[in-house]
Amino acid sequence: MDKLSENQAAYYPGCALLTIDRAYNNSSKLVSKKMGIELIEIPDYNCCGIGEMKSKGAASMYMPLRNMMLAKNRLGSKNLVMACSVCYHEFRRSIIRVRENRNELSAVNAIFKETGEFEDEYEPDGDARHILEFLYNEKGADEVRRNTVNPLKGLKVAPYYGCLYSRPSMYTFTDKKPQMDNSERPRFMHEFLEAIGAETVFYGNEVQCCGGRNLVQDEETSFALCSQTISKAKKAGADVIALICPKCAGALDVNQPKIVEKFGKDSELPIVYLTQLMALAFGFSKKEAEFGDMISDPLKALKEKGF
Amino acid sequence: MALEKQEQRPAAEKGEHIVARHLIEDDSIKEEKNLVIDGVDVSGRWNTFILSRVDSEFDRSFFREIKDTVVGSRINRCWQCGMCTASCTVTPLYRRFNPRAFIYMMQLGNLKELKKYIDVAWRCVGCYKCSQRCPKQVNPAEMMEALGLVIKKYFPEEVHSKLKVDEDVKKIYDDMIIGHGRLDLAKLHTSAMQKTGRTKELLGKIERDAIFKMAKDGRAFSILRLGKPHNWSRSKEAIENYLKNLNTIENGGTGV
Repeated sequence: MDKLSENQAAYYPGCALLTIDRAYNNSSKLVSKKMGIELIEIPDYNCCGIGEMKSKGAASMYMPLRNMMLAKNRLGSKNLVMACSVCYHEFRRSIIRVRENRNELSAVNAIFKETGEFEDEYEPDGDARHILEFLYNEKGADEVRRNTVNPLKGLKVAPYYGCLYSRPSMYTFTDKKPQMDNSERPRFMHEFLEAIGAETVFYGNEVQCCGGRNLVQDEETSFALCSQTISKAKKAGADVIALICPKCAGALDVNQPKIVEKFGKDSELPIVYLTQLMALAFGFSKKEAEFGDMISDPLKALKEKGF
Repeated sequence: MALEKQEQRPAAEKGEHIVARHLIEDDSIKEEKNLVIDGVDVSGRWNTFILSRVDSEFDRSFFREIKDTVVGSRINRCWQCGMCTASCTVTPLYRRFNPRAFIYMMQLGNLKELKKYIDVAWRCVGCYKCSQRCPKQVNPAEMMEALGLVIKKYFPEEVHSKLKVDEDVKKIYDDMIIGHGRLDLAKLHTSAMQKTGRTKELLGKIERDAIFKMAKDGRAFSILRLGKPHNWSRSKEAIENYLKNLNTIENGGTGV
């Protein structure tokens, strides 16, 4: 069993980050390393269930908890860091539920026993951490400010938290947690953005939903919600929208040409990940932060602002 | 300053998007022309009556069915304040989608009424605003999953005709998540397009540009390298066995 050293953390990449959202994956790793924490991927990860398994009882909790077991058994880490808000929600939901409900814990452990993959039973003692909350609590906004070599002066950013990063508080808050973000008015991303020299705008849709869950079945809903978010941010004077979830990117960035086709130019705004902007401010190149991966073309907007 | 910013928000009338509804059907409302009760003429203003309706045989088994599931375990806590509907993301878009009413119908076991809303029953986007604001921690967002299970069990034909797309997409998800242990987003997108008969759109300019971009920067090939978790077949078997041996409605129509 490889024990992690003090400045390493077990990291769950998830399916999207290893494939089409590598921009988020790479920039998260760059930023964390610069801030003094190396993210070590857990081997052999499996899908968290992305909310499609919820109606399948304890099977929905087995999916994330198997990854918690992997982190414990292979890397010797109780906690697991992840960048995707949907994964984060699924992990926290499972951990809190089995912590509070003995029947559900024993049902999950029965599945673990049947697979015979791990010798010990699952103990609900670890925590799942979102990378934003993790970096904020472990290192803080001051550390971000110290590492900033290329402040993004004059760039107006609309922070978009999405739904599952801060909601619902019954899953995100526990008694033994470090400081958690506010559920209705989150502020960690605001603080990070201000630390890297960017300006945040208020546009009222920070914690709105992007409709990403039904993107495949019912894209009309998602288009309507996304167009509202983008146009409000644009009206508030934002140059880019900063995200912390690959599902939001699926809805706001990948589908943006379709949204513009339907709702017009008001719904056109470059989309970036928060960690990409942080990487840029920390002195990494635009190529390293993979800005070119985004469909909505943030490169042009950054160039206009002189970065 | 903060207050000034708030005032710039569009002033929507509170609860404007919520459609009023009542469970009394029009033909059970009676208006008498000339009505005399105990020698008093009550025609005019006081002449509207509702036919007496008595629910005597409550089917508690239906309530238990929902209560036994993981997602619906808190149904008994709901006291119908309507906070879920007021904060819902979907209700302004689909006005007939009303979480409070759905929970009420599930509490009563009123399948007849539920049947009317099958076409919007699966429109929840899972943003958890309702669960955040619910004063009784009912967790309405997950209650909508329980609603999905209920209509799947009692109205399989309507689900098949009205919610075929959702049913197909759910099956693709299940096959991928349980079958392979990882999610292939490109395959999910293309097979969902195929199932819904929109293959043509895949050849459109927007889709073509995205595919070309991903092939050019190498992301398309990382999708091919996604693979399966080591020994996933054992987990798959265990999950399938678990679902098969469940004696709640969660095992119904799981597609495995």
